[in-house]
Amino acid sequence: MSRDQHAPETGDRGVESSDAQLVARAGHGDAEAGNLLALRYRQAAYLLALQLTRHPDDALDIAQEALLRFFRTLARFDRRRPVRPWLMQIVRNLVRDRGRRRKVRREDAPAVDVIGEPADLELDPEARTVQHELQERLWRLVGELPPPCGEILVLRDYQGLTYQEIAADLGIPLGTVMSRLHKARALLRAAWHHAPEERP
Amino acid sequence: MNDSRQKAGDPHRCGRGFRQDLLSGYLDGELTQGDAQKVRLHLEDCAECRRLYDELRDLQGLARSTVFRMPTDDQWREMPVGGASRIARGLGWLFLMVWAVLVTGFAGWQLLVSPQNLFLKVLLFAGVAGLALVFLSALLDRLRHRRTDRYDGVQK
Repeated sequence: MSRDQHAPETGDRGVESSDAQLVARAGHGDAEAGNLLALRYRQAAYLLALQLTRHPDDALDIAQEALLRFFRTLARFDRRRPVRPWLMQIVRNLVRDRGRRRKVRREDAPAVDVIGEPADLELDPEARTVQHELQERLWRLVGELPPPCGEILVLRDYQGLTYQEIAADLGIPLGTVMSRLHKARALLRAAWHHAPEERP
Repeated sequence: MNDSRQKAGDPHRCGRGFRQDLLSGYLDGELTQGDAQKVRLHLEDCAECRRLYDELRDLQGLARSTVFRMPTDDQWREMPVGGASRIARGLGWLFLMVWAVLVTGFAGWQLLVSPQNLFLKVLLFAGVAGLALVFLSALLDRLRHRRTDRYDGVQK
């Protein structure tokens, strides 16, 4: 596992097709267009699944399943809509389904190292190690939050969704987004202080 | 109940009764200009909220700076088994089990009504019952394993 999470995977060989064009072509059975779409969005799907499950095998399985479901529902997909939110919604639904089916497993699941080395090359080796440990601890604590709190934190603080997008995705009022997000952050902060090791 | 009592019982208000969820909105740049101005002014005066805001900002920064390990191309090629294949396999197992139950039942019935001596019947029954119990035990273990196996569903 060595690929940069932020590196786009277009596979377009220099010619950027829009999502709408690719969706239209894939909808007509163009396998290459389907491959390009999958290449473009598979890392984002994996990343969201990983942040929500914290398990690389689960995340890969969910991302693959989400892509398959996306292509199966392509006929119903409104081409004027952006692909990413639709795909991310499928990922979240799959994560929730899996969480419900495997509650026992989630409780028993050991912490798996899913965090790479810090990207900040200006940090010295010791500082990078400390930051890596802090990030591992932070994401472990995020994983221990109640699912609605963990999910909304991931959507906002890592996926970068706006409150409007979160409200639409989760089907909750806009005002609830801010209060739930604050509750999640307050819980995370309390957990962070509960067993203090290092402060960020 | 008066307003101050309500404020005192709310864990998301500071000692001065300020709504702390506004700090989250401020951190995310999601407040109206008026609310953002209120938060700015409050942060200048309230050490409690300033400390909370700084900590939330630091945690957010730590989360955002995280780099996750990503799968290699080889791992992406390991696509899950298709739905049709899963359904076919499930149906296959179902038919096989129905067949096994019917054949075993018929054989048992034939044994009961046959004129063989009792010792031979008991011997055959014990053998078949033993095999059935071993199979049942393996099946139960497998089912329990499926519920708790961390790697169940991961395509190899």
